Amino acid sequence: MKKLVCLITFCFCFSVLSAQVELADLFADSLVNEQNPGVTSTFKSTRIINARSVETVHRNDLVFLVLHRFGDVGGDAGGSETFWGLDNSTDILIGFDYGLTDLWSIGVGRAKGAPNGVNTSQQQLLYLESKYKILTQRYDESIPVSVALFGSSVVSAMKKSEFSFSDASFGQFSDRLSFTAQLIVARKFSPGLSMQILLTYVHRSYVSAHDESDLFALGFAARAKFSKRMAFIVDYFYTFRSSASKNYFKDALDFRFYNPLSLGVEIETGGHVFNLSFTNSTAILESQFIPSTSSSWADREFRWGFSISRTFSLGKSEKDW
Amino acid sequence: MKSILLIVLSFLIQDVVSSQVLKATAVKMSFFSEAPFEDIYAESSQGVSAIDVDSRSVYFKVPIQSFQFEKKLMQEHFNENYLESEKYPYAEFKGNIEEPIELRLSGTYWVHVSGELTIHKVTRIYRVLGKIVVKEDTLTTSSEFQVKVADHEVKIPRLLVKNIAEIVLVKVAASYPLSTVLEGQNSASH
Repeated sequence: MKKLVCLITFCFCFSVLSAQVELADLFADSLVNEQNPGVTSTFKSTRIINARSVETVHRNDLVFLVLHRFGDVGGDAGGSETFWGLDNSTDILIGFDYGLTDLWSIGVGRAKGAPNGVNTSQQQLLYLESKYKILTQRYDESIPVSVALFGSSVVSAMKKSEFSFSDASFGQFSDRLSFTAQLIVARKFSPGLSMQILLTYVHRSYVSAHDESDLFALGFAARAKFSKRMAFIVDYFYTFRSSASKNYFKDALDFRFYNPLSLGVEIETGGHVFNLSFTNSTAILESQFIPSTSSSWADREFRWGFSISRTFSLGKSEKDW
Repeated sequence: MKSILLIVLSFLIQDVVSSQVLKATAVKMSFFSEAPFEDIYAESSQGVSAIDVDSRSVYFKVPIQSFQFEKKLMQEHFNENYLESEKYPYAEFKGNIEEPIELRLSGTYWVHVSGELTIHKVTRIYRVLGKIVVKEDTLTTSSEFQVKVADHEVKIPRLLVKNIAEIVLVKVAASYPLSTVLEGQNSASH
């Protein structure tokens, strides 16, 4: 009987003790996984430098964008005479992005256009674009990547060129159009590191002789945070241009194509995202920097660029609780 | 035979004791920041809580990412820049009711609860006033208290001091169905 009392007492003590500790253990750690809306902030803006990011604009948010590319830092057009490129601007884009839903955003704007004068002469570019997020990465790894579809149409509003070899010697309206389609696959590996690939297709309705109307390119981009609000960003595109086309431009015109590589720093302050970058591409829109980048890092033909994006929250999203 | 009886008995006793824990899900939590430029309000209804009727210990836990803001960009900044929810996904409170009240009896009780609140990697001691209402089928708890964001190493950039208050008002409300006592009996033995 004594034994029995001992045991009961023991069990009783044990239960009381464990009950106090256990309150926290009653709830498994899966709470966030079950209910979280997916990984956010894979990138902080809808663009990286030249590349688009997988991010869309939140519903009812309006983003005002200014992107700028200066002239060559070095090489023939750079140096102290042009204040290392700052006297010139190769391309300027002013645009707006708007979130129709949390997953679907549209954009409209204008870019100056940065023709290299050999395979492209188009300027005064107006664009309309759309991006839809098909998949959102989950913290529980049930979906390991975020995926977005991006499409854009660009029209050149410039006066028709009289120079018949130029891609600006438009015959009809449709000659002014070019299109980009992208499948963007991104993964946030950790709170500080995100990477992305972009399967890219560019179609230009009207191109100069021996240029290619349809081009595929593979893009790569990454963001690595080095402080809470600052990150290194990089993007690169490999363009699959046929060697026949490359050779023609090289042999007949002494003109070479290069793949655009951009490196920069991104600074985020609530509502604004700034980036300061260096890139060898002169143009900002895909339909130009993918088929027509002709300046080379090796010849110091890279430039300073910056972008400013400012988000305005319009309207109030209805409460979903 | 006797020892088997003892073991069975001991389990039964253990059950009776641990069954005094009440659980609540869908716990509502909100916070409000009032600053010269803008007011910020966010709410979550995905918290969980438990209360031990005998030891009068209480527990609350809420996923940081479950807080919903009116402006989604604000919500993104809250998670990414302020609370760093990927690194510190939960806010947690472990405490005890100071007054020796009998929670099995219906009634309304105003109590002091003291304990440790962990938000954004920092654990602090808090003592808050809470209200407990016991009815036949439910026990509800609610409380309001202030949290100084700097106490939890949440840094506000100087540019935004007029947008975000230094002290935010937190409200909590939980409802514990008393039927969970029976459920607790079943689950505790497994």
